[in-house]
Amino acid sequence: MKAFNILLMANAKQFVREKAALFWTFLFPIFFILIFGAVFSGGMDNVSFDVGLVIEDDSAIAQNMSDAFGQVTVFKMTSGQRDGELQALQDGERRAVLVIEQGFGETIARGGTANISVYYDPTQTSSVQILLPIVQKVVDNIDRALSGTTPRVQLTEQTLQSHNLRAIDYLVPGILAMALMQLGLFAVAPIVVDRENKVLKRLGATPLRRSTMVISTVVFNLIVAMIQAALIIIVARLVFDVPMLGNWFYLICFIILGTLTFLAMGYMLSAFAKNQQTLMPLIMFVQFPMMFLSGIFFPLEMMPGFMRPIMDAMPLTYLGDSIRQIMVESSAMHSHLINIGVLGGWFVVCLILAVRFFKWE
Amino acid sequence: MKAVIKVDNLRKSYKDIKAVNDISFRVYEGEIFGMLGPNGAGKTTTMEIVEGIRKADSGRVTVLGIDVKKHPRKVKANIGVQLQTTSLYPRLSVREVMALFASFYPRSASIDKLIKLVDLEDSKKKRCKNLSGGQQQRLSIALALVNNPKVLFLDEPTSGLDPQSRHNIWSMIEYVRSKGKSVFITTHYMEEAQRLCDRVAIIDYGKIIATDKPDKLVSQHFQDEAIEFELNQQLDDDVLSKVAGVTNVVQENGKVTVYSSAVPVTVSALLDLAKQRGFELTNLYVRRATLEDVFLKLTGRRIRE
Repeated sequence: MKAFNILLMANAKQFVREKAALFWTFLFPIFFILIFGAVFSGGMDNVSFDVGLVIEDDSAIAQNMSDAFGQVTVFKMTSGQRDGELQALQDGERRAVLVIEQGFGETIARGGTANISVYYDPTQTSSVQILLPIVQKVVDNIDRALSGTTPRVQLTEQTLQSHNLRAIDYLVPGILAMALMQLGLFAVAPIVVDRENKVLKRLGATPLRRSTMVISTVVFNLIVAMIQAALIIIVARLVFDVPMLGNWFYLICFIILGTLTFLAMGYMLSAFAKNQQTLMPLIMFVQFPMMFLSGIFFPLEMMPGFMRPIMDAMPLTYLGDSIRQIMVESSAMHSHLINIGVLGGWFVVCLILAVRFFKWE
Repeated sequence: MKAVIKVDNLRKSYKDIKAVNDISFRVYEGEIFGMLGPNGAGKTTTMEIVEGIRKADSGRVTVLGIDVKKHPRKVKANIGVQLQTTSLYPRLSVREVMALFASFYPRSASIDKLIKLVDLEDSKKKRCKNLSGGQQQRLSIALALVNNPKVLFLDEPTSGLDPQSRHNIWSMIEYVRSKGKSVFITTHYMEEAQRLCDRVAIIDYGKIIATDKPDKLVSQHFQDEAIEFELNQQLDDDVLSKVAGVTNVVQENGKVTVYSSAVPVTVSALLDLAKQRGFELTNLYVRRATLEDVFLKLTGRRIRE
């Protein structure tokens, strides 16, 4: 017990005295939150599309159409000549250009079907996904008004979420999960350095038990994880008003489970790395895909379908999901039980591989 | 005398290489026992098996009467170990590392006294990464003494140090012996073995080829003294061995060593020969035979090649 305590203190002293470790553990996740928070808070709430409108017809109906488009809040309308607007579209200054051609009013007055052309760049996926449906809806509304029919079925939008989830609310729990992942993976780096420097061998020449060493490292990293999590939650609360809605006990349980899982993964990686030079790329190889394919920065629905199996395999996906559910009550990707199961599975597999292949010398 | 280390028929192979090939020896209470040999001879492997941090293929090792294979932790609690190269916890201070290691043992020596012993009082608050090579080596000796061990293991303790630091460490080791402890040391330095060790085992290719007191090893193999000189032209061994009093000849890159049972006769005969044949003898000097000569005679090679 005496050895355990002093080993824990030695761990802490070494950690605190290395500025790089302090930075990556505590400041880096905070920077992430501040930077992404600033980007998102300016962006998502007032999205607008520059849309050019070319009216070549001087009828009253054409004018009505123009007014209707003008009322769409996410459109920033610009009127102009066809050539000028199309050029602006090609230059990337417009997301779409609507053209009401000459004879538009006349065709409708005759009872025919008039045409509005939409020019857009199909490579701009947001134009296709968001802009076109809005245009369609505006056109439909006017069409109905003109033909005098009432809709038989109407869609009433109601959100089920009790809490209105902002981008930053989505992001912060993800950053917390990511920070725990990095903590766990990088926690083994000093152990590999100790192995390289024969410190582990020297400790092996004392009666100190290896289990005492491992447990002190694990306990130390759990303490760091708690401090890290507290810091992230406090900063997110103070700066961006990100709430902690759920149960603290569950949150702490997931922080512990997540840290243990990634520590085991770190130990496993260090078992397959000869030295620090080979360990670092190995950690990067594991952590980067997880950072970007685990729904930390954006929901997984935005990713192409063929990536789905990869995303479904990554433990960070499940840790992020559960922490997000607890903190901001986001809609669940999986139940907590599934998340615990997958994280626990990774933990056990990594642990077995680490125990089997970890070398002390 | 009581043996604190008993090693019998120890063997250890790495793939095809027999690192330790049937080694047996004893280390007695209160002596400095040295294992002398070139790098790769099997010194470190042998020592680490005795310390309980490496497993032997076969053979029997007891330390202080305890079987190392059966009770490694019990052995480790009673011995002090210094490994060849360890850079310990760069961001901990000397005193912190000592306290950490002391916590691993049921009983420990006074840390402050140890720091004084290894002359690190002025640096006890220094971080390990800021210590010089000699200071680091002294710290690792202090760490080996932290549990007040009965047997001390030192693997090449003065390797790479300047003469001043080397002498400091020698006197520390002698002090440890004066406290009744046994010291098992490996080295590839002749002077170290000759000056420091009570008994020396010469080891080559995993086998002990001779064990005795350094002086006895030398006198056993050489009643003769060595005459060394350089030549400005090539001479056959045959020619030199016919010189009066010469018992053995070794030539290496123009450097000649002849061993002689009658030095004055041999020297004057050599000078005559030089005059006769018109070559020059330079840098001539006479010395007693050393362990280096013993090693050379037994293996045909120098320790440092």
